[in-house]
Amino acid sequence: MENDEKKYEKVINTLKNLKEVKAPENFEADLRRRINSEKFSKKERKGFWQNIFVPARLIPSLGLIAAAAVIFFVMDANSEKMDNPFLIEPRVREDLIAVTDYEQLKEEHQKALKKSESLKREKNIPEPKPEQDESKSFRDEKTSGRKEQNRLDNLSTEQDMAKDKGKSEGNIALPESAFAGISDSIQTNVSAEESSDIIADERVTKDELNFRQIQLSPKEQKVVNELKTQVQSLGKNNKTQK
Amino acid sequence: MDKNLRELSDEELILEFQKNNLEAAFEILVQRYKNPLTNFVFRFLGDYESCNDVVQETMIKVYRYKDTYSSVAKFSTWIYTIAGNLAKTEYRRQRRRNIFTISDYGEDNKPYDLPDESYRPDVATDSGIKDEIIQKALMKVKETYREAVILRDSQGMSYEEIAEILGVNEGTVKSRINRGRAQLQELLKGFSYR
Repeated sequence: MENDEKKYEKVINTLKNLKEVKAPENFEADLRRRINSEKFSKKERKGFWQNIFVPARLIPSLGLIAAAAVIFFVMDANSEKMDNPFLIEPRVREDLIAVTDYEQLKEEHQKALKKSESLKREKNIPEPKPEQDESKSFRDEKTSGRKEQNRLDNLSTEQDMAKDKGKSEGNIALPESAFAGISDSIQTNVSAEESSDIIADERVTKDELNFRQIQLSPKEQKVVNELKTQVQSLGKNNKTQK
Repeated sequence: MDKNLRELSDEELILEFQKNNLEAAFEILVQRYKNPLTNFVFRFLGDYESCNDVVQETMIKVYRYKDTYSSVAKFSTWIYTIAGNLAKTEYRRQRRRNIFTISDYGEDNKPYDLPDESYRPDVATDSGIKDEIIQKALMKVKETYREAVILRDSQGMSYEEIAEILGVNEGTVKSRINRGRAQLQELLKGFSYR
């Protein structure tokens, strides 16, 4: 420390010997006047935040913000890197496959119906007797017409149900089995009696059921027959017990 | 009464002013500090008019905020802190103003430029001129160093007091003073000291 004082001795002495500057003679009078003037005119000074939010002071800052916004949008519009979000095609989810060709399905169903009718004709399904009275034939026609109508209605409801099911599972695709079952059932070897019953009655038939026929192997057929005989024997036992 | 007040220390006077609102005590404090403060502020700002305003403003602040003074600190430290802060604010304001009005100054009217011949010993003979040269050199010293150098070498304050006024530790004060002195010595190279 003393070394520093010695090092800068000349500078220190020069500063110490500088002529002392004195306050003006009227210093106290001026001070008194200023204090009194402040006492009588106590203006409420605005705070920092109040000063900032004076409208006139806001103009430059608002102008700057507006300019910055304009520049930003102009630059953004010119940039090639960014795609216009309104022009981008919506992204397709790969897990969603839409099947909406119900008309095709309907046509297939119609074909299947025709096929079944041709099968019936081949097997000589008896036609309703002509000697029956007109009212009966009319009723038959009515019932058969209603039957066709019901069948179509059922088809449409099944389509709707399948559609709903597909939607509920997050998948619009219709399960093939829904309609395959119907067409398969029509292709089955329907006996003449059954087919006549189907036409005569309005009860639920095999055609309307949604099931699939499976070609069984001889072994499987054997097992099924055994089961059938067991069931029949059980049924007989039950009857005898009663 | 007035005679008794004159015998009181600065701290006792401000206490009188605080408790009894005795304006005579304040007036005595003004008389005691007007010249030292004027000297300090003038050496810092280099402009007498603005220095006078700053000292007056300091006194008004003491008057208005007398209750904020705590007897824990020395009165001199408190009043010098106020004056120093106001002086720094004024100096920065002047500097901003000079930046904006720099074109108004002619080649001869540059406020802080020292002509080369001023350093010549044969030119700097008069004490008034010497004072001016030193003041101009002082104005070229960095703001923080200048304040510390003035308080130490011109006002004769202790390192402890300066540390309290500037709100830094004593080590920093010593460092600032040494750096300020070094800058000043460099600026006054070739100047004939008395």
